[in-house]
Amino acid sequence: MQQAQVLTLGELAPGMQTVVDFTVTAQQMQQFAELSGDFNPLHLDDAFARGKGFEAAVVYGALMVAKVSQLIGMRLPGRDSVWASLALDFRKPLYVGQAAQVEGVVAEVSESTGMVALKLTVRAAGKVLAKGSAEVVVGR
Amino acid sequence: MSIDAIYAKLTDIFHDVFDDASIVVQPQLTADDVDEWDSLSHIRLVLAVEKKFGLKFSAAEVGRLKNVGEFVSLIQSKAA
Repeated sequence: MQQAQVLTLGELAPGMQTVVDFTVTAQQMQQFAELSGDFNPLHLDDAFARGKGFEAAVVYGALMVAKVSQLIGMRLPGRDSVWASLALDFRKPLYVGQAAQVEGVVAEVSESTGMVALKLTVRAAGKVLAKGSAEVVVGR
Repeated sequence: MSIDAIYAKLTDIFHDVFDDASIVVQPQLTADDVDEWDSLSHIRLVLAVEKKFGLKFSAAEVGRLKNVGEFVSLIQSKAA
């Protein structure tokens, strides 16, 4: 099992950032379909998705959120943190096998409460696919 | 800033954070008196007060507060 980074509240500052690279596989899509019970063919059937105007089957938005989970839980702030909120706007589709990155940037650190605000951006091929923010409470 | 002005502003913040316009913000009010006042909403409350009053508190200052009256005293001392 990978070790999570541990950043304390005092080590966090606005502007700090990290990036998680990822590529969603067809196997992960199938596994998520079974986990979630969402078998919408838009996510599993290339021909169906093309018929709806997409290039191929569209990656579940929740799998982008899963990479946000990796970013927060393993990197920034890492182990001693827990989500308080998440907002993510999906602007463009991500396709299976397409290389993507999720970036997290510290926007605000509250010393009094331990709350850290992160700005989130998901990109692929230089285009923004999703943007949002998260609030994370860092344990003392 | 007067005590009355602080309570008026704080009342708006409480109603917004807890989404409950029936909360009467008075000195003896504590987390035990508001059903929705849990650890996360406490964080949101402190953040909202810092933002609306343009103040910053320390963890120690926030940690020793026992009721709204003490919070108002802290706000008044910081805003002075």
